[in-house]
Amino acid sequence: MPPVLELRGIDKSFGPVQVLHDVAFSAHSGEVTALVGDNGAGKSTLVKCVGGIYPIDAGDYLFEGRPVQVNDPRAAAELGIEIVYQDLALCDNLDIVQNMFLGRERKSGLVLDEPTMEEMAERTLAGLSVKTVKSIRQLVSSLSGGQRQTVAIAKAVLWNSKIVVLDEPTAALGVAQTAQVLELVRRLADNGLAVVLISHNMNDVFAISDRIAALYLGRMAAQVKTSDVTHAQVVELITSGRSGELGLNNGSGVAS
Amino acid sequence: MISDSDPSLERQAPTAMRAGPSQEEIRRHNLGALLRHVHLGGPTSRAELTTRMGLNRSTIMALTADLTAAGLVREELPRDTGRAGRPSLVVRPESAKVYVFAFDVGVDRVAAARVGLGGTILDRRDAVRHRGPFELDEVVGGLASFARQMHRKTRSDTVCVGAGAAFAGGVRNDGVIRFGPNMGAYDVPFGEELARKLGLGLTVAVGNDANLAAMAEQSRGLGVGSRDLIYLHGDVGIGGGVIAGGHLLGGHEGYGGEVGHMVVNPGGRACGCGSHGCLEAEVGERALLELAGRFGQQVGRDAVRAVVDAADRGDIVAQEALSRVGDWLGLGVANLVNVFNPEIVVFGGMLREVYLGAAAQVRSRIATEALAASRERLRLRTSALGDDATLVGAAELAFSHVLADPLEALARVSS
Repeated sequence: MPPVLELRGIDKSFGPVQVLHDVAFSAHSGEVTALVGDNGAGKSTLVKCVGGIYPIDAGDYLFEGRPVQVNDPRAAAELGIEIVYQDLALCDNLDIVQNMFLGRERKSGLVLDEPTMEEMAERTLAGLSVKTVKSIRQLVSSLSGGQRQTVAIAKAVLWNSKIVVLDEPTAALGVAQTAQVLELVRRLADNGLAVVLISHNMNDVFAISDRIAALYLGRMAAQVKTSDVTHAQVVELITSGRSGELGLNNGSGVAS
Repeated sequence: MISDSDPSLERQAPTAMRAGPSQEEIRRHNLGALLRHVHLGGPTSRAELTTRMGLNRSTIMALTADLTAAGLVREELPRDTGRAGRPSLVVRPESAKVYVFAFDVGVDRVAAARVGLGGTILDRRDAVRHRGPFELDEVVGGLASFARQMHRKTRSDTVCVGAGAAFAGGVRNDGVIRFGPNMGAYDVPFGEELARKLGLGLTVAVGNDANLAAMAEQSRGLGVGSRDLIYLHGDVGIGGGVIAGGHLLGGHEGYGGEVGHMVVNPGGRACGCGSHGCLEAEVGERALLELAGRFGQQVGRDAVRAVVDAADRGDIVAQEALSRVGDWLGLGVANLVNVFNPEIVVFGGMLREVYLGAAAQVRSRIATEALAASRERLRLRTSALGDDATLVGAAELAFSHVLADPLEALARVSS
């Protein structure tokens, strides 16, 4: 099966600074692909290119095998790509249902179709086996960090999405909530979605990923199957762009 | 090589040949199969049962009528199907009326539950067990009184069809606990004694907790549809349940799958079983707490969580302890992967915390020690049923004779 998302030869510069060099990246249905790299390696830029926030300078963007133009976030959403950023973009003064449908409310005639929205929210949360939330009419301000992350993820999968990108979903959480979120992320992929997980935590990456893509100074050092690599190899890829046979041709990242 | 004309074989052939199953056997089998469908899959329309079971509509109707008459299922009109035409009746299990008692005996926790057909936990009681010598009367007495409390609260139209118990130890096929080094239980007639104390005229089926949890994950958890699954249960020790080719590996007398006593480190830490370097000696609670310099303070799940939490907060000793334990766990899993080529390995009990907290070590070990062909499609997961996996497994064990022959099982309990 071809990957749902495939990027080839992506370049991206901001003025004179080239942030992404010839980057290739793919994400497959039913799999968690971890995107790792040091600070400034280009993870966020790559994700923003995927999400249509930054236009790419050069390269191919293929969705389900077809070349597509993704020039703005709306185009990405229409393809079924949802991104959950670290700040989660939830409104504290709204409840869970209102947040999940924010800006995309269901209407019945002139008024909001509350029963349908409630049912859809309920079904989505149940489909993810979320049991931590008491009521879907709870205000988001009353939720814990882990619950907020859960709501943000549920919001992303509500729209028949095919790819969900999660930017450091466990960064601000304690151990118990991290475990719940990791299990939830794994379940998303087991339900058939392609999940891209950005994380600095190697245990999180190894716990749930099927593939690991390591960026090094704006280049894709390697995209490997998690079952084939060790922790030490991944750390090497992150810090020096290569590890034994894997990785870039030389340490400086300049193609020879 | 056996020749075709071997006279001894020829003589045996007529007696070894068996007539096909009788109509009665087929009907019994179909009744059980239909009941199993709604027990595991929840309310299902007749039309769907027809497709799933590959039987014709009138057979499904007759089977459903028999099960309805026995009070095991009930049929009702579905809610709006949104489709044209007369809707197919939905067959649902009589969860509120037909139930079993499920018991779970772990090192630190005992639990009893009343579980309805269909797998709904209708009522439950949990109690903390204090570590110390195993007192059969105390444990059995506690569980039986929980069951009686729950039994008293039931309505008169309910029927209890069985009882099952999960035990953290090696259980012989007849329900005797042969060894439970972490419980201090040896040669205990647990099933018999619990049945006697219950006084409900039921036998109590007993199984090893990890074996039952493996069955639970396969029937209701994340192993649905998988024929090759290994469940690893972390309590104080490490238990294992191996499902190979769709069947639980029980061994000759029932002790199969004791992966906690697989030696991973010859001459290593002393194990409760008397050996050294067993997986459970290197990965179990005591090893983790000792390595983290916390042995003798807290015990149980909270103690394990405290180590994982400390490691997450940057405590180097805790990180080192977790990483050592993860390394041994990975080695153990790699051996199992090489021997059984499972599709899924499930981490339950305290191994959930250990796996999530040390996954980098666990998977690095698997990547280096397991055969590439065996590991490439391997899925590593934490338990979908969580801490209830063993209890759910005990309930499934109790239901198993009902699903094998529904009418006979029901006749036995109502007489």
